[in-house]
Amino acid sequence: MTDQNETGHTRRDFIKRFSVWAAVSAGILASISLLRQFVPRISRYQKRFKIGRKNNYPVNTFTYLADKQLFVYRDHEGIRAVSAVCTHLGCIIEKSDDGFQCPCHGSCYSEEGEVLSGAATKDLPWYELQKDVDGQIVVDQSRLVDPERKLYI
Amino acid sequence: MPDSYPEDNKRRLGKINRNFFLHIHANKVHPHSLKPGYTFGLGVILGFLFVIMILTGVMLMMNYTPSVERAYNSVKDIMFVVPGGRYIRNIHRWAAHSMVLISFLHLIRVFYTGGYLKGRRLNWIFGVVILFLVMFMNFSGYLLPWDQLAFWAVTIGSNIAASFRELTDILGITQVIDIGGFIKRLLIGDDNVGQAALSRFFMLHVVFLPVTLMVLTGLHFWRIRKDGGISRPETQSEGSENKSVRAERTSKYFSWPLVMWAELAILLLCASALLVMAFLFDAPLREEANPAFPENPAKSPWYFLGIQELVSYSAFAGGVIIPVLFLVFLISIPYVDREDEYIGIWFSSPKGLRITWQSIAFTFFVTIALIFIIIRYGWLNTWFPDIPRVLVMLINPATLSAFFYVIWAKWIQRNTGSSRMETTALFTCTITAFIIFTVIGIWFRGPNWEFYWSNAQWPVF
Repeated sequence: MTDQNETGHTRRDFIKRFSVWAAVSAGILASISLLRQFVPRISRYQKRFKIGRKNNYPVNTFTYLADKQLFVYRDHEGIRAVSAVCTHLGCIIEKSDDGFQCPCHGSCYSEEGEVLSGAATKDLPWYELQKDVDGQIVVDQSRLVDPERKLYI
Repeated sequence: MPDSYPEDNKRRLGKINRNFFLHIHANKVHPHSLKPGYTFGLGVILGFLFVIMILTGVMLMMNYTPSVERAYNSVKDIMFVVPGGRYIRNIHRWAAHSMVLISFLHLIRVFYTGGYLKGRRLNWIFGVVILFLVMFMNFSGYLLPWDQLAFWAVTIGSNIAASFRELTDILGITQVIDIGGFIKRLLIGDDNVGQAALSRFFMLHVVFLPVTLMVLTGLHFWRIRKDGGISRPETQSEGSENKSVRAERTSKYFSWPLVMWAELAILLLCASALLVMAFLFDAPLREEANPAFPENPAKSPWYFLGIQELVSYSAFAGGVIIPVLFLVFLISIPYVDREDEYIGIWFSSPKGLRITWQSIAFTFFVTIALIFIIIRYGWLNTWFPDIPRVLVMLINPATLSAFFYVIWAKWIQRNTGSSRMETTALFTCTITAFIIFTVIGIWFRGPNWEFYWSNAQWPVF
């Protein structure tokens, strides 16, 4: 008696092939789940935070908040906040005479955060501000607004 | 000691064969492989430097702590408290810098002598991978002191990886697949450089990369043996096969003791140069990392300043497209050029040398003209403020000069009909341009990455 069918495959062939494929696919699946360890699972940062009262901020000046990497601008009507992280490669920009400038690769922005020159491709994001019940100002980094949008105070 | 300097050939063979460590050598070497003016001993120097890196690295590791709070102070301890720690750190530093420099010199030597021809294709590719690993080794190493240079260099480096977003933004698919963000998170384990980045880079620097490098170095050495030793010109007497083989066999030298003497000389030279360097020049340590304020100018180490100059034109073009194209070009060299008759001859022929000089001149003209334009007159986005940003990404001094080099190489290929001349032209152009951009980055860029003729002109803040 022979196990061979009309196409010439034996039962042994089938078992061999089946076990090889089973081993390979099990290996691939196992390594996928292991490789996921390399991808960090980042817990959400607190995107809303308080930055104190309006009186902390001098009028008609950009104030740099070092720990939040933020420029806060206050004028007589209201207050606005813009990111201080260069959209090019993530350095902290500095206030120049007529806007902002990045020390790392020289991108220049206007006071509205618009890219004027350099390698940056995106404008600086402005964040929505709210006033909390205790009178402090809250920055919401998850909500972007127009550069002209102020929190009137 | 009668056995120390064996007189008869059998013992000379035994010296090499019976010793596990010397066994890496062939029993006999071709006289050409020992010519100092051919190899300059660069590969051997790199091997020794790697050993020195491992020894000094292990010593540094004993006193270093890879944590954000402790890293900077533990490096300070190494420099000011641990006996001899500063010296060991200096040696580690200068050996690392020498490895980058000598890896490039080795690449240049092997290219211009046609060392990738005649079955040495695979070993050339190993070599290119080793070159990039050495660069990455250095990159991961300079995060560890956690000083200002470390922090901002890795912030910039990880954002270069994230600059894929410039491409996905144009296609409008960043929300769906954020390749840039994924690579960045894979690299630094977070959205910003912090403890996760330090842990990952520590692991890469002390385990993953050294082991990978060791394996690849082993393969690299093994291929040299398999390919019949270091590349050399074909012997003239091609007449009868047997005769030339026999002639070659008798003209070869025994490795013991000749190669040993040569290698010992190189090792001593290397070690003494490093000891003197480490004695005279301290490895720098800046202020502790401060995520709120970058230095101005924030310059990376010298071997990355060429790339920094390129990314100042466009992050994605200068940081991803051009380096990837360079890597692809290097790997493709042995597949484009198969003119085996040029193996082992410096610059192939007098014509090759002439084309090399012409390519250097061409690169100087084109690249410096483009750099002059962008420094003196600005670029597309300053002339036409409303221009789509993608145009600046595609057309900037980095991509334009690469484009001109390819045109030049194609033109050489058409004139000479030789793929060897074509690759010579393109290789010369890219290496020359890399040097030009690096020189601009090192000496002619000041605060805010602006152009200055010398740092005596830098403004005082």
